[in-house]
Amino acid sequence: MSIKRSLATSTISGFALSATLILTFLNVLLQNLPTSVSRAGDALLQLNSQEGVANVVTTVVVYFRGFDTLGEIAVLFIASLGLGLMLGSNSKCDIKAESNFMLKTASTILFPIIMLYGMYVMIYGHLSPGGGFQGGVIIASAVLLLLISHKEFEVPHSLIVLLETLAGVSYVLIGLIGLFTLDIFLGNFLPHDISQMGMLLSGGIIPIIYIIVGIKVGSEMSMITQNLIKRGENV
Amino acid sequence: MIGFIVLATFIGIIIVSFAAIIQPKLSDSIILFMGVGLGSVVLFFVFGAPDVALTEAVIGAGISSLIFLMALKHLKAQK
Repeated sequence: MSIKRSLATSTISGFALSATLILTFLNVLLQNLPTSVSRAGDALLQLNSQEGVANVVTTVVVYFRGFDTLGEIAVLFIASLGLGLMLGSNSKCDIKAESNFMLKTASTILFPIIMLYGMYVMIYGHLSPGGGFQGGVIIASAVLLLLISHKEFEVPHSLIVLLETLAGVSYVLIGLIGLFTLDIFLGNFLPHDISQMGMLLSGGIIPIIYIIVGIKVGSEMSMITQNLIKRGENV
Repeated sequence: MIGFIVLATFIGIIIVSFAAIIQPKLSDSIILFMGVGLGSVVLFFVFGAPDVALTEAVIGAGISSLIFLMALKHLKAQK
């Protein structure tokens, strides 16, 4: 009885507290209404040409919001870690069913093509639509094709660990080098002349960071798909 | 012409998503859900967002449907 009553009391007081906070916030917001509409996006897009990157979206994702991208990668890493902890097991799966002959033949032909396309999307992320996230997931889908067609295939775990660690560390290192040279975290310290816009070697650190993001996303998504598929066989 | 494409895609998305709801088998629903993602890829591309279109094609129609199918397999294995 007393527990119920204390629960009700704390719920009511919590509601009252949040209502007070919301009302205070609304009051502050209404008293300081902006007189003119300010657009942060337009000012950022004006700055885009300084970086010498042809794709505006890449500049926003990797440079202006580079720290957010670091956080997104951390979120993906935590998701992969949790899935590996919950589903990853050392026991080898013993599948009796052999996969289809057509699937096997087609996957050996298609795997290099999909892999090449993923790398193209990753490397040309600053020139054409696409980038690290998309390219990484395309590479993971190529790995998925091998996983469902060849039952003896397994993603090499030590290689994935090495790639992912190197990618994560080098992202932070590039950001710290920018912090020490230009006083900006992820500052563009490499030459990024506007006359080079549209070339493969342009934009300073932006294509390098997008390739790093692609390697990290590709390895994490490959591990996620392997954990899901291999675990599915030996439940 | 573009208006016709957009209209047809909208109607197609509505029909496919309704069909995905009323399917009795869950695996058919997941395949139709991939169709919804494909329609939104066309919409994103027509409205001038090729980056988002590529992301939606890879993640929304590809990997997330795979994860749904795997979850369905786990559910069937536990029964």
